[in-house]
Amino acid sequence: MASVIPVIFILAVVLGLIACGYLFVPKGPHQTTIRTAIMLTLASCYLMWMVTYMAQLHPLISKS
Amino acid sequence: MGDDYPTLFRSEQMSLMQFLIPTEVAHDTVAELGELGNVQFKDLNPAVNPFQRSFVGEIRRTEEMTRRVRSFESQIQKEKDVVPIRPLYDSAPLLTVGPSAAHNIDELDVTLAEHEKRLVQMNDSYKTLSERTRELVEARHVLRETAVFFEKAETQHTDIRTSFDDSSAPLLQHDDREQQYSSTVQFDLEFIAGTIDRTRISTFERVLWRVLRGNLYMNHTDITEPFVDPATGTETRKNVFIIFAHGDALLAKIRKVAESMGATLYPIDANADKRSDSLREVTARLEDLETVLYNTGLNRRSKLLKIGENLARWQDVVRKEKAIYETMNLFNFDVRRKTLVAEGWVPTRDLTTVQLALRHATEASGTSVVPILHELRTSKTPPTFTRTNKFTEGFQTIMDAYGIATYQEVNPGLFAIVTFPFLFAVMFGDIGHGLIIFFAALYMIYQEKKWARQELDEILGQFFYGRYIILLMGIFSVYTGLMYNDIFSKSLHIWHSGWDFPEPGSNGVSYAVSNGHMYPFGVDPAWHGADNGLVFTNSYKMKMSIVLGVIHMTFALCLQLPNHIKFKRPLDIYANFIPQMIFLQSIFGYLVVCILYKWSIDWSTRDTEPPSLLNMLIAMLLSPGKVDANAQLYPGQSFIQVVLLLLAMVCVPWMLCMKPYFQWKEIQMIQGQGYVGLSHHNGGHRESTDEVLESEEEGNGRVIVEEMEEEHEQHDFSEVVIHQIIHTIEFCLGCISHTASYLRLWALSLAHAQLSEVLWSMTIEKFLGMSGIFGTITLAIVVVFWFSATVFILCIMEGLSAFLHALRLHWVEANSKHYQGEGYLFTPLSFAKLDEKE
Repeated sequence: MASVIPVIFILAVVLGLIACGYLFVPKGPHQTTIRTAIMLTLASCYLMWMVTYMAQLHPLISKS
Repeated sequence: MGDDYPTLFRSEQMSLMQFLIPTEVAHDTVAELGELGNVQFKDLNPAVNPFQRSFVGEIRRTEEMTRRVRSFESQIQKEKDVVPIRPLYDSAPLLTVGPSAAHNIDELDVTLAEHEKRLVQMNDSYKTLSERTRELVEARHVLRETAVFFEKAETQHTDIRTSFDDSSAPLLQHDDREQQYSSTVQFDLEFIAGTIDRTRISTFERVLWRVLRGNLYMNHTDITEPFVDPATGTETRKNVFIIFAHGDALLAKIRKVAESMGATLYPIDANADKRSDSLREVTARLEDLETVLYNTGLNRRSKLLKIGENLARWQDVVRKEKAIYETMNLFNFDVRRKTLVAEGWVPTRDLTTVQLALRHATEASGTSVVPILHELRTSKTPPTFTRTNKFTEGFQTIMDAYGIATYQEVNPGLFAIVTFPFLFAVMFGDIGHGLIIFFAALYMIYQEKKWARQELDEILGQFFYGRYIILLMGIFSVYTGLMYNDIFSKSLHIWHSGWDFPEPGSNGVSYAVSNGHMYPFGVDPAWHGADNGLVFTNSYKMKMSIVLGVIHMTFALCLQLPNHIKFKRPLDIYANFIPQMIFLQSIFGYLVVCILYKWSIDWSTRDTEPPSLLNMLIAMLLSPGKVDANAQLYPGQSFIQVVLLLLAMVCVPWMLCMKPYFQWKEIQMIQGQGYVGLSHHNGGHRESTDEVLESEEEGNGRVIVEEMEEEHEQHDFSEVVIHQIIHTIEFCLGCISHTASYLRLWALSLAHAQLSEVLWSMTIEKFLGMSGIFGTITLAIVVVFWFSATVFILCIMEGLSAFLHALRLHWVEANSKHYQGEGYLFTPLSFAKLDEKE
């Protein structure tokens, strides 16, 4: 049975990527912009994936 | 601050600088600063009438030049054969700074005046010549037609003669007498010939008939070619008429009527020879005139061509000069030191660039007196300046359209770079459509340099301006398309599906059995085409909208925190931010947690039925503390819900009362210290201005101090209370309505998916089964139709709709949580921007 563990695992991966994005963007006139963009993209894409995944975990209705 | 980089997070720090510019260098300095585009000058003479300002004379001269240049432009545009205007980047620049500048401008003035005079002369002579040509052509027609009349009359006359012969036997003398008589008869009738508008000919005839009581003979014919009026281009059709009557009185009457009806009369001789002479003369003159006309036309065209070579250059120079003098009118003239005093806002980061520019200007002009620059301390709000590049410009513009951010407040444009395309994509999710708009944006970016120079028309220009926004919208749409598993309304089977369909039962319905496998990325393709597929996707999308909405609103609320910290308003953190956050989370954050929790439980292993979350929320608010044991989501639910509800209810009076109370205490404290609020603030202001301007005379100082008084804030307690009440009500009611408003994410994505599916099933699906040549051709036609409908309806129309709704979500739902938006835009003197404005 599919479980919630992949959700938490991917969450950890995404958080790690966000941290990398924060730390490793080089200083420059666009640092804030690039950082914010990377972090927000990762966060929003993860959110959408998580919602989609969890919605199908334990389906309440079966298809016909 | 110097080595920090500019960020999009806040607007830049601005300084108010005072420039002391010697008069000789003033023009060149302003030109240099205009090229730089970094200074927004303040109007130091607000009370002065525009006609009384110092540089009115120069502005009038530049206005004259602008008028002349504009008239050249309009004349060139009216030409039927296109006169090429050499574009600005191709023309040699005209020096407007430096020691030769004044001479160049004077020369330009003289050149423009001369060109204009000559052009006007040529146009006038062209017009006169055309008029005369027209008259001559009419005369020629008249001569020709009257010749026809007389010939006809001649033939008729011989008939009359023969009839005479029949009735009586002519004696010889009778013959002579008759010949004489007949010859006079033929020419005894005098005539008037001329031309008249075709529309008026019947009226003319009728009027003449009535006036002369029928004592006339009139004949008229059409002139086949119409006459074209050179000035307006209208065509008029004319007729030639000839009227025979006798008697001077009648002729005079005819002449008067003809004049009143707008006919043109031509003197025609009765003698045929004389008529052919006039015809020859007219023709000769006509030929001459046409040659002259042709030459004038050629001359004019060559003149316009020469003007076209220089036109762009002149326009540029004239525009810049006007801007420079208008700016210089904002300056204050210090009589004692013979310098101009200017004040302007400059981004602090750019101060060194401005100083360099000033030095460069003095070097270029050849003088040795450098303008002085020093900073003024002021309590006035500086303008808001966000440094953008071509990528971030679009996003910043769409957020600025709601309102310009207050000086140094957190800029929502930074976050909109990702959240806006993302929310758009949630409503637009389709891999195929996403790819279409992605490639469209890519093409526009590829053509960037070329298109930036051209004048694009309004709609295409708008799309081009937002090309980076569209690019990101495309990328995110591909991602959400993968999530929704939707490509042109079909689904992709990349991984194994989590459902197996056994053979259909007796009633043709087959129930899928879950095989325990999870489709790892996106919606399982088995849902596509299932009868209850919509039921599932609706529930999924609605819940996702709520989850995304609450998280977006929470994020926007948290943006208040940096603002309160930066502007040193700790009271706001405790009185506004914290109760707002608690209120939002205790009701809607709880809802989101419940949604996620409900999804994470395997309901087949639980005894209770999965409760409806909506009913649960309503019950929480209407009948707190009562949770049916059969319909509970988790044990202890009723207790937790009561706690949350109480928390939310506590927040409302917290928001209402805390801030007004503390501000009231502050006012009491100030009053207790023996100062009256107003003068205390005023005294502080006056000190700082006196320091700066102590060397200036009274005139300048007073003006500036008076302006500062306007900025004084009101600490009226009743206003604070009212403001807080409005704020609280707006927030609490807004929470509910905004959360529901996020459901548009579901609504639009549903509409998009359904539209796409309908388009497919109504077009291509119907024709897929056909075979043979005929089938292939119809399929090809249908595919073309399907693709164009996809682009126009689904991509453009739906795209614009989703764009609008995503923008509304940002403007209303997100910005209302943190945005003040009371700033004014930084509008520096910039020659580059002048071009855009035109």
